[in-house]
Amino acid sequence: MAETIVEVRGLTKKYGKKTTVRGIDFDVREGEVFGILGPNGAGKTTTLEMLEALRPIDGGGALLDGIDVKKHPHKVKEIIGVQLQSTSFFNQLTLVELLRLFGGMYHQTVHPYKLLEMVNLRDKAKSTVDTLSGGQRQRFSVASALVNKPKVLFLDEPTTGLDPQARRNLWELVQDIQKTGITIVLTTHYMEEAQLLCDRVAIMDNGKIIALDTPDNLIKDLLKKGFKKKAEVQQADLEDVFIDLTGKDLRE
Amino acid sequence: MKDLNAVWIMTKLFTLRFFRDKIALFFTLVFPLIFLVIFGFIFGGNESPSFNVALINKSQTDFSKTFVEETKNGEIFQITETDFESAKEKMGRGEFDAILEIPEGFGALDEQGRPSGTLTSYFDPGDEQVASGFQATLQGVLDSINAELVQVEKPLQLESKPIQTANLTRFDYTLAGLLGFSIMGLGIFSMSEGFTVDKKTGSLRRMKVAPIRAWQLIVATALNRIFVGMISIAFLFITALLIFDFNMRGDYISFALFSMIGTACIFGFGMAIAGWAKDANQAAPLTQIITLPMMFLSGIFFPTFLMPVWLQNVTQFIPLTPIVDGLRMVLTEGKTLLDLGPQLAIIGVWTLVIYLIAFKVFRWE
Ligand SMILES: Nc1ncnc2c1ncn2[C@@H]1O[C@H](COP(=O)(O)OP(=O)(O)OP(=O)(O)O)[C@@H](O)[C@H]1O
Ligand SMILES: [Mg+2]
Repeated sequence: MAETIVEVRGLTKKYGKKTTVRGIDFDVREGEVFGILGPNGAGKTTTLEMLEALRPIDGGGALLDGIDVKKHPHKVKEIIGVQLQSTSFFNQLTLVELLRLFGGMYHQTVHPYKLLEMVNLRDKAKSTVDTLSGGQRQRFSVASALVNKPKVLFLDEPTTGLDPQARRNLWELVQDIQKTGITIVLTTHYMEEAQLLCDRVAIMDNGKIIALDTPDNLIKDLLKKGFKKKAEVQQADLEDVFIDLTGKDLRE
Repeated sequence: MKDLNAVWIMTKLFTLRFFRDKIALFFTLVFPLIFLVIFGFIFGGNESPSFNVALINKSQTDFSKTFVEETKNGEIFQITETDFESAKEKMGRGEFDAILEIPEGFGALDEQGRPSGTLTSYFDPGDEQVASGFQATLQGVLDSINAELVQVEKPLQLESKPIQTANLTRFDYTLAGLLGFSIMGLGIFSMSEGFTVDKKTGSLRRMKVAPIRAWQLIVATALNRIFVGMISIAFLFITALLIFDFNMRGDYISFALFSMIGTACIFGFGMAIAGWAKDANQAAPLTQIITLPMMFLSGIFFPTFLMPVWLQNVTQFIPLTPIVDGLRMVLTEGKTLLDLGPQLAIIGVWTLVIYLIAFKVFRWE
């Protein structure tokens, strides 16, 4: 079994009297894609941002590649890449310039064009972020999270708001990144996305992890309980129709 | 070292960003120019300056009585009759621009039956530029009386103690204040907006993801703004030279260095406000609180010597005061950086304090 790269123990977050993350434990293994699923307000973003040293941890802690987030937030920041759930970039700088700026903050030599090539934005190198489509913006956001060659990449709802083509395109990107050996922790509301991308998923509700396993095992467990789908299982769904009609090519 | 390298890269790209922002450019480069031209015309108009003069009249002659009357009625001189000792003391505080002494027997008739005599004017060598304006004006008055008396040689003479050279215009006196005002505008008004916008859009939060510290962001932004501020000051200065025939008496190196130091100091206030405020609504009142005293008590528009002494004691510690004073000393008195020790000391302390505060109170979102 692969080494543990993210070790979370008793992680807790309180906003006033309300506890939004209630002492959760989980491990992420090196090289895997780890998904966190859960309804709105479950505490997914809060959890990620505590691991990213963006929000203070109120209880418990986490080790990333052996580094304690609470004690060495700056060291952790150096080895992770982050795509925030909602983010924005300076609109006056081009993609290349922005990547140089972020690279400078990590004291890393960046190869902006290589990064843009990787996320399929090479021809947008001299554009500004405000002229990008939603999908392009998400891909740029991923590129900007890779400037420091991170060991762990956090993606918070990378495909929310994207059309089916753009979503598939991002899935491929995630798989490509995984192939380079980077561990990925992502959140999503799309179950088929989790099933396709994630080696293991944690299901979060109300600040707690209520299930954690591979997607296949979770499904098997459910079936063991005698679960049956109400509707007759169709061999295709509306999304398949949509993709069939509009093709897989990216629009934008 | 790595940290400073990051600051340098950030400074470069922030500057690039700034020059692409048309609105920001307008407010830093064009707006102060418009302001300079408007206020330059208002303050530097052709109306003649007026001087506060202490008068010591030791003469009882009819001519001297008329002379004193006429001078008092004129608009150029604000005359206060007093004795020499208290006049000297008040001039030291800047309440008087000059002391005019009418010696005993001034205006007594000479052999040809014409009034004659020599007036003595005293002034503070530190206030040379005011004094030279005063002398030129007084000489003009005497010349016209002389002309009326139809004399080939002038029986009335003005004796001036220190040496004066260039003729300074009203605008020349005002430029330091206008520059000070521009620095304040650039540093506080336009600066305090800066971070709050980036906090609102979340682009600052995106930068927080990287292992940079608040001081790096603040220093990079400050360097970027100081650079732009210096360009703005250069524009203003060139305009002053071209449109208002500004009479530069100082050296350009002292001027450049001193403006840079002053700009760095004042920009610290903008940085502190912008770094602390969560949004523009929080920044606005704080901006007002800090700029209002600067605007009215630093000698930008109102000379500080018109204020009561207790207030003058306070105003000298307002950070913009030593900047305006220092600029004035360089621009109109030809002082160099080495003469500005007291000013630099106050600015230095403020700079240190305000940047430490800025680092401390900074909030990323
Ligand atoms: N800054 C904050 N102050 C107070 N409460 C907060 C703050 N940020 C988040 N919360 C609360 O914490 C809870 C968890 O929020 P979080 O953003 O982590 O949920 P999430 O699982 O990411 O939801 P979503 O799927 O909508 O992104 C919510 O109830 C939210 O209202
Ligand atoms: Mg979320």
